Amino acid sequence: MAEGPEWVRLTDQEVVLLARGGREAAYRELVRRYERPVFALLYRMVRDRELAEDLAQETFVKALNAIDSYRPEFKFSSWIFKIANNAAIDHLRRRELDTLSLDGSPHAETPEAMQATALQIGARQESPLDAVEAKELGGAIEAAIGRLRPEYRSCILLRHVEGRAYEEIAEILDLPLGTVKTYIHRARNELRLALAHLRE
Amino acid sequence: MTPAPGPHLSPDDVELWLNGTLDAARTRHLDLCPECFDRAQAEREIVEQLASLPLMAPAPGFEDRVMTQVRVADPFALRSIRQRIFATRRSMAIAAGLALALVGSMAASVAWSLANQELLVSAGNWVLSQGSQAGWLALRGLASNFIEQPWYESARAFADHPGRLGAALGALALAYLSGMFALRRLLALPSQQVAHAA
Repeated sequence: MAEGPEWVRLTDQEVVLLARGGREAAYRELVRRYERPVFALLYRMVRDRELAEDLAQETFVKALNAIDSYRPEFKFSSWIFKIANNAAIDHLRRRELDTLSLDGSPHAETPEAMQATALQIGARQESPLDAVEAKELGGAIEAAIGRLRPEYRSCILLRHVEGRAYEEIAEILDLPLGTVKTYIHRARNELRLALAHLRE
Repeated sequence: MTPAPGPHLSPDDVELWLNGTLDAARTRHLDLCPECFDRAQAEREIVEQLASLPLMAPAPGFEDRVMTQVRVADPFALRSIRQRIFATRRSMAIAAGLALALVGSMAASVAWSLANQELLVSAGNWVLSQGSQAGWLALRGLASNFIEQPWYESARAFADHPGRLGAALGALALAYLSGMFALRRLLALPSQQVAHAA
């Protein structure tokens, strides 16, 4: 089969079959198809370009190295988004644990001990990369998304940025359909309240 | 002012309205209820803003960076074949069907052979006799063809003289050995370092 435009006519499932047959070009095609949406989801989840890129890379490597375990009765997009979302949630949970230690060790008994065990955060100079991030995620809506709970954030991004159906989101996040609807409604509500000042 | 009919819009109603599938009765409520209209309109604005967010891309070379860590599947690896057989119920059913057909045909073949041993023996004898007859005919044809060659008489006269035959065989053996020696020298790896390869 020829390289290039031929791939456009193939479904994800057909490309996966070619990948399983040992075609490197098929692996590359899967990366090309999903690198942007997967990266965009992760970037808006973790709000750090470099980290989002690492997590996106981890997502693809994990998915493509386990391509034989992918079940073709499910959408490939659901599978890759599920891996990406799990990577983001795992990272956010780890970060939450790290953030707790900013206040010092929970075993510290005096204020001095707490201060001694607390992480020191200096004034950080803004790097060119930070400036790019600030510009990319600087909109009021992006900031409001960043303040949502991670579960709400995944739901709202998958629904209204990636355009996924409720059923697919339920499959990606391993949540009941009703819960997904509730999360999306609450997320929209929070965004509406957060951006209310802009409407006035 | 006409009161809006029915209760206020539920989140599901707002969702239907956003998708353009809200029924006429609820749409009428929305038209007449400023509270619901404001709320639905605000949600629509949020949805539109979300849909127009830019699609971000990773840094160039992302695909290559991923591929350096990916192991491309080997379709002939035993593990890969096993995983493909057990991938779906359909593939398992096909594999089971093929295995059953293979074992069944082998069992049928053995059973038929045991039940028709005499027939097999007579068929074997017939094939053997036909084969030996055909072989003998081919040998005779070859020999007569050989004898009819113009050089046959002179070659036979040469072979009748033992001295000449011995000398010819000796020369042949010598040529063979020299040829073998020359080939071995040609195929041997260089034992010394070549100056420019250092």
